[in-house]
Amino acid sequence: MKHTNLMEALSDYQVKLEVFEGPLDLLLFLIRKKKIDIHDIPMATVTREYLEYLNQKERINLDREAEFLLIAALLICIKSQMLLPREKPLEEEQDPRQVLVERLLDYQRMKAASGFLKDREEEETQKWKRTGLPRMLSEEETEYIEVSLFNLAESFFTLMKRKERAEIKTIKRQEYSLEEKMKEILTLLDASEFLDFLDYFIQQESFEEALVAFLGLLELIKSRIVIAVQESHFKPIKVWLQKEYVKRN
Amino acid sequence: MENRLKEIIESLIFISLEPLTLEKIKSVLTEYEEKEIETAVQDLLETYITNERGIQIIQAAGGYLFSTKPEHDSWVKRLLKVERKSRLSSAALETLSAVAYHQPITLAEISALRGVDSSHTLKTLLLKRLVKIVGRKKSPGNPLIYRTSDKFLTHFGLNSIKDLPSPEELSRILEEEGAPEVEEDHTP
Repeated sequence: MKHTNLMEALSDYQVKLEVFEGPLDLLLFLIRKKKIDIHDIPMATVTREYLEYLNQKERINLDREAEFLLIAALLICIKSQMLLPREKPLEEEQDPRQVLVERLLDYQRMKAASGFLKDREEEETQKWKRTGLPRMLSEEETEYIEVSLFNLAESFFTLMKRKERAEIKTIKRQEYSLEEKMKEILTLLDASEFLDFLDYFIQQESFEEALVAFLGLLELIKSRIVIAVQESHFKPIKVWLQKEYVKRN
Repeated sequence: MENRLKEIIESLIFISLEPLTLEKIKSVLTEYEEKEIETAVQDLLETYITNERGIQIIQAAGGYLFSTKPEHDSWVKRLLKVERKSRLSSAALETLSAVAYHQPITLAEISALRGVDSSHTLKTLLLKRLVKIVGRKKSPGNPLIYRTSDKFLTHFGLNSIKDLPSPEELSRILEEEGAPEVEEDHTP
């Protein structure tokens, strides 16, 4: 690739730094570049190269940097173990580099596997299955009205009031996670085409659980993963997966 | 009569949105002998291999499914007004490989294998239903354990998890690559 000007070269350079999936990826790259035998890694050279790379990286993402530093520490630790004087030379299995070599070999295999998966995915995306199709609405389905947040909230609270009156229970202490509820809704939608809003909330055990489920539903609507519709006013509210979301999956 | 059975099976596969397994077909066609059904399925598969059709029957996740032929991709996309089907990121593929080869596995184990925190990627894969939670590990903190799903198999056109290259095959792939010529673009 020829660079026409410096700016372009620099921007390209930034992209390259993000090429690595993580510290092990970088380490493998350095080893391959130097044509080093993975079973006999010259620790000093590799550690130096590795640290040089980290120093070059100016704008860093702190979260990811920690992971790179962890492996740097491991490299230095191994090197120092190798420098320690011993009474008798180490057996091969006791090579302090063994831990690293195994991790790298594992990682390398995983890389090869993800390459395999990538190729398969490429092939598969060209075969269209009826499941993979975006939902094609039939004539009458297009009549659906999207339910507004206000309508949803109103039905929810009417429902909860009705439920409250129906049975009085002792309060059980249990915590519900929004995330779990969102996953539950998606799983239910996966199993059946749509979710009946009323049915779903009647099934909830307590007010707290229903509330968390409701918030989860709102979150899913907000992130445009699901849509709440009704055939006409006063008809049951149904929750569908968004067309785009079905398409993407 | 035999042809009729073949046609019935064809309808069943056509109407299924998920790979239809032989067991499922058998459970529906109670009036037919198992052996008969197996022969008819084989027969049907052969029809599709030899006939000049735009659709084919593929085997995925242990079942049969209709799909268009890959060479018609561009026209299908034109009809559906889809530019390009989205593909998984390399982080997602790496995480999936970790799960596929080491399942059942915990988040911490995945992160250790990759050397990178994988919680976000794993969450995305869960949402895409390519991995599933199968329980909790009996170890400190009772972490959740994950496995690849049937959808994972369908997504990659695999019939079963055994279709993945074995660790030995992977090593062979790596050896064949040797120390591949590093692309210049890579050099930091």
